[in-house]
Amino acid sequence: MLKDITIGQYFPGDSIIHRMDSRFKIVLDILYVVMLFIADNFISLAIAGLFIIMAYGVSGIKPIMMVKSLKPLLPLILFTAVLNLFFVKGTDEPLVQWWIITIYWEGISTAIYMIVRIICLIIGMSLLTYTTSPIVLTDAIERLLSPLKKIKLPVHELAMMMTIALRFIPTLIEETDKIMAAQKARGAELDTGGLMKRAKALVPVLIPLFVSAFKRANELAMAMECRCYRGGDGRTKLRQLKAAPFDYMIFFLMLTVLGFIIVDNMVF
Amino acid sequence: MNIIEVKNLDFEYPITDDEGNVIGGNKVLKDINLVIPKGQFVAVLGHNGSGKSTLAKHFNGILVGNSGKVYVNGIDTADDDKIYDIRQTVGMVFQNPDNQLVATIVEEDVAFAPENLGLPPEQIRERVDEALNAVDMYKYRLHSAHQLSGGQKQRIAIAGVIAMRPECIVLDEPTAMLDPKGRKSVMKTIKRLNSEFGITIVLITHYMEEAAQAERVVVMDNGSIIMDDVPKKIFSQVDRLNEVGLDVPQVTQLAYELKKEGIDISLEVLTEEECAEELMKIMNKT
Repeated sequence: MLKDITIGQYFPGDSIIHRMDSRFKIVLDILYVVMLFIADNFISLAIAGLFIIMAYGVSGIKPIMMVKSLKPLLPLILFTAVLNLFFVKGTDEPLVQWWIITIYWEGISTAIYMIVRIICLIIGMSLLTYTTSPIVLTDAIERLLSPLKKIKLPVHELAMMMTIALRFIPTLIEETDKIMAAQKARGAELDTGGLMKRAKALVPVLIPLFVSAFKRANELAMAMECRCYRGGDGRTKLRQLKAAPFDYMIFFLMLTVLGFIIVDNMVF
Repeated sequence: MNIIEVKNLDFEYPITDDEGNVIGGNKVLKDINLVIPKGQFVAVLGHNGSGKSTLAKHFNGILVGNSGKVYVNGIDTADDDKIYDIRQTVGMVFQNPDNQLVATIVEEDVAFAPENLGLPPEQIRERVDEALNAVDMYKYRLHSAHQLSGGQKQRIAIAGVIAMRPECIVLDEPTAMLDPKGRKSVMKTIKRLNSEFGITIVLITHYMEEAAQAERVVVMDNGSIIMDDVPKKIFSQVDRLNEVGLDVPQVTQLAYELKKEGIDISLEVLTEEECAEELMKIMNKT
């Protein structure tokens, strides 16, 4: 069950998307989300959808990965859709009116738009992590946030924490599986019973997991000290982030599309 | 030239009561004196709780003794201003490879130390490639660390230290969590670093077979150094080692048992080849 998580997964490759400056990728992703939520008619959403599918096309990431990234969030998507379907009130006559359920044409269209938006949002974000190594990603976040150092925000420390968290996700998942197996071998019932009972059964899994995580943290800190770690001051990077003309091109293309959608919304 | 000099070193862990008040000390190291010349391959042997890991942590200033001094290339490890010079000179590898790797991708992890040293990117790249080649893991440079085997991860951890270009590497039971295959590959790497690159190696271990491969063996018991000699001289003292809870390599044990039965065989055998040779000599005589 824990193996299904695709967040933070990275597939090394050499496509133009992989080679793009990761700072631009993050900014583009944010702009893309803005675009998705401004777009509220068929044409603009179709453009947004086409945009991300084209991006997947050139990235060389297998299309099945789009579906995989959606799987854990399926309940959320359905929930949003159902909510919109039943609660959006339209101006025309309702399409269906039965007992307490009233469905308007606007409800259906909002639900569909919402589904498309969330799907595009998730696969868009996934594309970022699929094509960017976690270290480069945190590096880019560090650079983008670096102006905030002036207001004493510990930007480097936050980025380092993210790097380490990403590094230890698989290790701790493996450890959790091991502890669960060990507790099951001693008669713990982790998969049966009601919600409360299951939650209680998790305590003997979480305590050893926490103890071991602290022990690991301690050892890691020592190993980092041995490798001359002394915070972000004076640190350099193996990979330099360099913006290529292509990055600017995509960036302006994105701005143009965004501008088009805004105009499109104001006109119609 | 000596790389590490330990003079009259004492160290104790404070013992605290439930409220956190210090009520005493647990003496882990007692009056240690040790000199390690450049380029040597030294094994430090001892059973659990003998103080061998604690001693290792003094070699690069992770711990500083209560009294006595440790010098690395003549620099006192208690000198806070020079601590990064010391850590760069004496690198350290720990037991659990999972808890030493900082980054997800192999080459990014190896780059961690040179990045901390503030080197320009081209030099970092050069050092990363050099370090990965030295441990024979270059072709795995773009892999995720968690997909590698234990032995491979430990070799990456070694590469991460080599990228600092240290003169000495201290390895604290680097093979304890590995399978026999991984253990072999790590030992091979360590020996190669010593013979080809001239890096001083301090190997903390409780495996006799590994200690037997060193030039010199230091035996610790209960916080003191009790023996310090070449492996052959150490392992021929079978009774003394058994007294402090250590075994000898299997072939030495065989020679020891034969000698007890009245056969005139040298106890200075460490490898199967040496043992076979000795046995041949005896059989030819009779």
